[in-house]
Amino acid sequence: GRRNHRGKNRGCVLTELHLNVTDLDLGYETKEELIFRYCSGSCDAAETTYDKILKNLTKKKKLVNDKVRQACCRPTAFDDDLSFLDDNLVYHILKKHSAKRCGCV
Amino acid sequence: EPVLSKGNNCLDAAKACNLNDTCKRFRSAYITPCTSSTSNEICNKRKCHKALRLFFDKVPPKHSYGMLFCSCRDVACTERRRQTIVPVCSYEDREKPNCLNLQESCKKNYICRSRLADFFTNCQPESRSVSSCLKENYADCLLAYSGLIGTVMTPNYIDSSSLSVAPWCDCSNSGNDIDECLKFLNFFQDNTCLKNAIQAFGNGTDVNVW
Repeated sequence: GRRNHRGKNRGCVLTELHLNVTDLDLGYETKEELIFRYCSGSCDAAETTYDKILKNLTKKKKLVNDKVRQACCRPTAFDDDLSFLDDNLVYHILKKHSAKRCGCV
Repeated sequence: EPVLSKGNNCLDAAKACNLNDTCKRFRSAYITPCTSSTSNEICNKRKCHKALRLFFDKVPPKHSYGMLFCSCRDVACTERRRQTIVPVCSYEDREKPNCLNLQESCKKNYICRSRLADFFTNCQPESRSVSSCLKENYADCLLAYSGLIGTVMTPNYIDSSSLSVAPWCDCSNSGNDIDECLKFLNFFQDNTCLKNAIQAFGNGTDVNVW
């Protein structure tokens, strides 16, 4: 689903993939599957006055160290928990593993 | 060699559940309390039962029955089916009570009392009917059976080779009530109406359930 069409950062959107739980490489042995949703896209257009100031100060080279980062496209809310049974009949639950909403933060 | 190696209907049902937002949410909502140990117990059984009742109340039968009544051809499948309700928490207990005593505790709770009555009404076997059910309605029998999950009368599959089910009780120490106790227990364990209903769902041959 493509959301977040309202703001300036239209590039930052939610994208979904149908994966095997084993594709996540978290160490589980199971045949179960999931929908993984992630946030990606650009956050170039400054969102807040803070971001605007950072951009201006960077241009003028007035920052003491220039490791300050601009906004990133990240999850602002996570999907519901995911549970699955592994090959040895043990249940596992994944929390905060998949994005629900995205934003430039 | 892990127990669950090949694909099967129960695995397919679990996959389908996690690809559906409602089923995924209510599944995790019962797996969490049913697998979280407390300081002195294996889990909080009351919370596990409540979440299981919610799962069967809120999730469409296509998904909830899909996991509970999936048809199996091997142990990997039947073991997964047996694990659906997290029996170590929702089903098993330190001691096995007498079935008639368990029935008495069930009757003290209005949810359990009414759901047990529904089960005896809707899964009543009748050898002369085509379906083997007096009510001739598999969907109502499956609904009544799944309605018991999350009560003290929670039933589960008792072995990996058949569709025999039972609540966590037996008929030892029944005294003079042994016949009544066996009649009660056999209504679960040896019920052709219920077995045919589960089989019809698993094979996709009962159109009324859908």
